Amino acid sequence: MKLVSWLAVGAVLLTGAAPPPLRAQGRPLTVTGVRGVTFGTVFPGVPRVIPRTDPAGSGQLDIRGPNQSQVLLAFVLPLTMTGPAGAQMPLAFGSSDAGYSQSQAIGSQVGFDPRQPFTATLSNNGRGSVFVGATANPAPNQRAGAYTATITLTVTVLP
Amino acid sequence: MRTVCKLSVAVLALVVSSATAARAQSNNAFIQASADVQTPINVTGVQPLAFGNVFPGVIKLVDPSDLTNAGRFDVTGQASAPVTLSFTLPAALGSGPNSMPIDNYSAIRAQDAMQSVGPLLFAPGAANGATLSGTGALFVWVGARVTPTVNQAAGLYTGNITMTVVY
Repeated sequence: MKLVSWLAVGAVLLTGAAPPPLRAQGRPLTVTGVRGVTFGTVFPGVPRVIPRTDPAGSGQLDIRGPNQSQVLLAFVLPLTMTGPAGAQMPLAFGSSDAGYSQSQAIGSQVGFDPRQPFTATLSNNGRGSVFVGATANPAPNQRAGAYTATITLTVTVLP
Repeated sequence: MRTVCKLSVAVLALVVSSATAARAQSNNAFIQASADVQTPINVTGVQPLAFGNVFPGVIKLVDPSDLTNAGRFDVTGQASAPVTLSFTLPAALGSGPNSMPIDNYSAIRAQDAMQSVGPLLFAPGAANGATLSGTGALFVWVGARVTPTVNQAAGLYTGNITMTVVY
């Protein structure tokens, strides 16, 4: 019985020593892809620009996490879009093609370079949104068809 | 002893659970980028602008409605897409060291090869708007005038007419 007591104490100490789960600081961190970057109709040889402020074409990801926490935003950006029979179409991201909005409003973004990690602060209620624009650069002889690529955003809560 | 084992498992479970929660400080999501690329434009020079026999001192004109002698370009691309035509037109035809003026260019564009569907007469220049047909076709004919001098040297005179089409 003495051994059992020691084990129970050990359990309490071990769990106490481990870092507190995020849930204990507020809500857990979630990232949700809301809308993709949509170029729509693209003509061969004609670059198509989607600004991050375009309400229909820009991409959007929503973040929820601990209130007022600092988060690090890091993108994995594709260099090309893939189309029919593996055809590739260049995709470019500029130095202000991403924007962060604490209020989650597309009209009140702070622009940043999606090619570099960016530190943002979640709102008082633990929310924020990231908007993304890009440029598609079809070649003059770009093969016709539907092209897609995946843009990934990783969010990390900073200590 | 069995109680001890159960407690050990519980301790391990709690520790693993805590470590997992700590790793959950990072999360990610993805979105798609998508585009619908239209059919590329293809332009083909189908028929040269042919003045045939020209006599010194006698002006000769080929009208763009002349299906046999007007120069013709065929265009294919995305159905119903707006395009811009631009022309590079020579001011003279050459034959070795000799030249012969060419001017008064005019053009017709239509949606069929017989100039029977939507033909439009226009002055070919740097930027002429047009729209491809419902099947993505456009036909363009070019006419012009040559003015040989009275002492024009005999020979075969040629020049290049270029039409560029972009969306």
